[in-house]
Formats: sequence, C-alpha cells, structure tokens
Amino acid sequence: MRWLTDSALERLREAADAPDLEGTRYRLINKLGQGGMGGVYRVEDRTLEREVALKVISIPECSGGWSARLLQEARVIAKLEHPGIVPVHDAGTLPDGRPYYTMKLVQGKRLDEHLKDVPGLSDRLRIFLRICDAVAFAHAHGVLHRDLKPANVMIGPFGEVLVMDWGLSKLLGTVASARNLTEPEENKIREAGSDEGTAHGSVLGTPGYMSPEQTRGDALLDERADVYSLGVVLEFLMAQGSPQPVPRALAAIRRQAMADDAARRYQKVPDIAVDVAHFLDGLPVSAYPEGPFGHAWRWMSRNRAWILLLLAYMIARALVIFFRPG
Amino acid sequence: MSEDTHLGGRHPFPSTRWSVIEAARSERAEERQRALDVLIPAYWKPVYKYIRLHWHKEQEEAKDLTQDFFVRLIEKQLLDRFDSSRARLRTYLRVCVDGLVMNSDKAAQRLKRGGDIALLSLDFASAEGELQELQIPAPGGAEEFFAQEFARSLFGLALERLRRECEDKGKGLHFQLLELYDIDEGGKNFTYEEVARRFAIKATDVTNYLAFARREFRRIVLEELRDMTASEDEFRREAQALLGVRLG
Amino acid sequence: MNKALLGLLLGGILGVFDGLTSWFTPAVRDQLAMIVFGSTIKGLITGVLTGYFARKVNSLALGILFGLTVGLLFAYAVAAMQPGPDHYYFAIMLPGSIVGAIIGYATQRFGQPQAATR
Repeated sequence: MRWLTDSALERLREAADAPDLEGTRYRLINKLGQGGMGGVYRVEDRTLEREVALKVISIPECSGGWSARLLQEARVIAKLEHPGIVPVHDAGTLPDGRPYYTMKLVQGKRLDEHLKDVPGLSDRLRIFLRICDAVAFAHAHGVLHRDLKPANVMIGPFGEVLVMDWGLSKLLGTVASARNLTEPEENKIREAGSDEGTAHGSVLGTPGYMSPEQTRGDALLDERADVYSLGVVLEFLMAQGSPQPVPRALAAIRRQAMADDAARRYQKVPDIAVDVAHFLDGLPVSAYPEGPFGHAWRWMSRNRAWILLLLAYMIARALVIFFRPG
Repeated sequence: MSEDTHLGGRHPFPSTRWSVIEAARSERAEERQRALDVLIPAYWKPVYKYIRLHWHKEQEEAKDLTQDFFVRLIEKQLLDRFDSSRARLRTYLRVCVDGLVMNSDKAAQRLKRGGDIALLSLDFASAEGELQELQIPAPGGAEEFFAQEFARSLFGLALERLRRECEDKGKGLHFQLLELYDIDEGGKNFTYEEVARRFAIKATDVTNYLAFARREFRRIVLEELRDMTASEDEFRREAQALLGVRLG
Repeated sequence: MNKALLGLLLGGILGVFDGLTSWFTPAVRDQLAMIVFGSTIKGLITGVLTGYFARKVNSLALGILFGLTVGLLFAYAVAAMQPGPDHYYFAIMLPGSIVGAIIGYATQRFGQPQAATR
C-alpha cells in the first residue's frame, strides 16, 4: 500500500469533500471555507459566465435531516430579497446525491477583519445600522437568524454590508424548527457540530453570541434572541481595537440589548437601530435616561458651532461695550 | 493469510446495517473473523505506530503488543464494553491499547495464539519504514496522532480498492489522474491541458475522469468507514472528522 | 426656503438685533434708530450675498469665511460713513463680521440648496 504524506492526506480529504459538478452548469474553482454542515466553494456558472459561491453538505447522512436543513436555508434566503442579505441563485442535488445551493459570491472581508480599516466609532455604528436593517427585514418576513456574529457579516469592496450564513435560521412562531427535523435530530446535530472543540460549527448558535434562551435550548425563540446577538456585535464594534472610551449612552444601549431577561431587552431590532441612530445624531436615547444637565450637555454638544458663534458675538459685544478704545 | 494485509474480499452492503461491533461480539467464529477482516487492515498500522512513537516501545515489543492487542480484541471481548453513544470506536480502541501497554508483561500476559482465530501476518517492515516520515506526537496529542494515522490507513485502503475497481472497469487512467493531482506532490502545478497532452486525451476528459475518480474515492471511503462504525451517529461524526473543517 | 431667502431673513433679524445692542454704548444711544436701520440693511445685504454663495458652494468653512468677510466689509463701509471724528470701526466691524459668520454657518447648514439644472 502506498505511503500517503500528510499533504497528500489533506489533498485527498479536500478531493473527497469537493462537490461533484459533472453534468451541472458549474465548474469548481477553489474552496472558500468550511462550516459545521458543509463547505462553501467558489465555482463558475458557465451559463451566465460569472463566479458564484456554492454551498454543499459535507457530511453523509441517511435520515435526510441535513439535506432538509440545507434546502430550508436556501429557501429562507431566497425569500429575503434585501441588499443586506446575500441572494440565492440556484439550488439542487449534485450527481453524488448531495444537496447544494448557489449564492452571490461576496468578495470582501468579514466584519472582524474589516474593522482594522474602520477606526472611527461613527463609521462602525453606521455599519451596525445596516446590519440591523437586514435583520429587521428578515424578522418582518418571519425569519430569525440565530447566529449573528461578526464572522457572519461581510463588507464588500464598495462598502456594502451583507449578513451571511443563514444556516441556523428559523421561522418565527414555530416550535423548535420549521424544518422536518425533530428535536432529537437537532440535538444530535448540535453534538456533531460541537465535537472536538469546533464550537464555531455548533449548529444552534455560537457561544458568546447566543442569547441566554438559545443557550438553554428554549423551544420558542423570537426576535429578541437576535437582538441579544446584535448587542454582542455592538459590543464587539465598540471594543475591538478602538482607543476611544465608550460613551455612556452607547454602553446603555449595549446593556439593554444584552439583558439576560428578554423582557428587559429591546423588543425589536428597529428599536435598537433607532437608539443607535439617535446616538449618532446627538439625540436622546431611550436606554439612557438623562437628567436636565445631561440634556443640556447633549444639546450643547449637538449645537457646538452655534454656541461658539454666539459666544464669539457676545464676547465681541462685551469688548466693544467695556473696552472701547479711548 | 497474506503477507501484506488487505481486506479479504468485499462484503456487500446489507440492507440492514452491518455492525463491526456486533460481529466482533458474535458467538460465531466466522462473524468474529469478519470483524477482524474489517478492523485489522484499518487499525493495525495506527496501533503499531502509536505503540512505537507514543509509548516509545522498541520494534520487537511493539510487534508483540500489536499482535496481542488484536487477539485480545476478540478473545477477551474488549468490545463488549464499548458504547458508541459515549465514544468513538477508534478512541475506545486507542484507550484499550494504552491499557494493554501499561499492563504489559511479556512472560505472563502473552496469550496462547491459535485457536479459532488465525492471525494475519502483518507487514511490520513497511510500517517501520513509514515511521521515518512521522514525528513523535506532542504531549497531549495522542488522539490527534491516532486519528491522523487512522485516516492515513483508511485512505490507503480506499485507494487500493479504488485502483482495483478502476482497473477492473478499464478505467486505470482515471485512477492515474487522481494519483497525479491528489497524491503526488506538485501535481497541482500541471494544467489540465498539459496532462491531456501527456495522456493523449482531451482536457475535458481530464476534468471528467478526475471527477469520476474523486467521486468514487469518496464513495469507497464512506463505505469503508461505515463498516467500521457501530451506528449511523458515529458514522456521521467520524465522516465529519475525516472530511471536514480543514482549509489550506 | 432657499438659502438666499434664509440668508436675507436671518441677516435682517440679526441686523436688527446687532443694531439694538448699540444701546449699551451711551455715546450713540441717541442715534439708535439710525444705527438699527443701517445695521438691518447691512444684515440684509450680507445675508442675501452669503445665502447666494451657499447655493453655489457647499462648504461650511468657506461659507463661514465668506459671511465673515462680507460682514466685515459692509461693517467697514458703515463705520466709514459715520459722521464726526469717531467712526467706531472696532465697535461696528468686530460684531458685524461675527454676524456675517453666523449667517454663513446658517446658510450652509440649512435652507434648500440649488436644484440641479438639466
């Protein structure tokens, strides 16, 4: 038997996992990444002469649970036509029996990688607002993301913000899942995904970003689970590599979004977006009740130019009145 | 049994799941032999290399311990205590190897060989040669080392079977292309056009033949793996560990 | 409201206010009505010019500078026209230029910009 080097083993692993595109309109270019359920590949769509991303299940299975999950993911994303949600182009089954779907190939950086190029807090908050737009749109169409985190947000070359990886998405108002998966199957998938320290691949959420109710495995989740995750993303944006101290109003927004008790959080994503937008505009935020001094200070911060000009006029007038030459 | 191990004939995949564990626990000698036919080719090299590099045993002692291990596996019914919901088979086997080595005593513990289980002659020389390519596993890296050697062994078996099947079907060139691109070093530097010229075929044939070989390789790997796992859950977990979560 | 009109209105209002503050200078208190009138005219002209500038140029810094300069120039003109030996250059030009700067800021920030021509 021939000796296989470690590098040969890696190539064979990738070869065995690569999608079999024979007879399809796609041509494999290279692998882009690997998640808990499957791999994502860059492929060429020969019909439309463009490159797209193709997601395919890695893991073989008999029960159909994984296949159903992948197709459900594709259907969910396909219904969400929004500039902040990556569009799905096609779905089907490969010659080797594995289901796949194709989507827009996003050439850009993940949010956590992009942040080094965005030192300013205001710019980061504007990115955050666009994430909220996409998530709010999904909620309005009955879809929870359940795995919001910086690694699942891409920033395109022209600054477009895309929320990716809807693999854990769930339809609002259903118990456990809208898919054919039963609870035991979901739990098994969670175990499979969390094997050997691959917590990143944990199917039902990512530790550190999951809401407490997700961590507990509560059957009925709602928009507030995503609000919590958005709060963690906000915290990440505020803290990551930024030398500026965190303003109190913004810290209050984060605290409210990340409240352990869902009843104490923002109840909907637009609520947190409005508060962040108000913060950017120097307006009061609902999460941070101010006293009269706070109001006055904020008003003065927003109207600095006016105040300086009026002050300059008053000083000039005072000079004229009290220090007239001669 | 043959000098170099290989699977002693393929067992057709039954409509109900054949379990190597149940076969190993069977009362019938032929079932236990069938289980050994599956386990030994995949595990003997990982076990031997593990004993040599992780336990730092000399060659002769490692050979004896490897032989002892597989005998004990069946005769001492080591698999009776295995519970697939709690651990993978390969982890369990590795832990059994650890137990054997720790308790080893050449004079007292060596079992009488023979009986109704015939030992395979294992090509320890080839395994010893492969050791030169390996590094001693880091402390705490025993599981990763064993897993990697298991993957190496399983892929090697799958390639052998693929080669035979391709030759039987007159698709020897398909296998050669897989070797060129996915096994040989530097294969990826060849374009499909260059390879097509070398083999006097079209570039599209290179794509198609390679796709065929890779597809078949995957099928065979998964079939072999399925035989070596005790349940569908364990099969899925092993397949994920074997195929997934690596990116160059 | 377009920027020129905003400038006109604001210039007029600030001009009145600026003129009224001369009440704090007892020496000119008896000429208050004239001062207010002159200051208002100055403010209107400064305002409409600065507002017109804001329609053409979208720059806060330049707008403030333009307003300040125009305000200063007209204030100088008004001061130069004062009868008598005391022209009150300092008393008129300093606040006048700042009023111009305020108009410059306001017309840059507010008011409808010029519609794009086809």
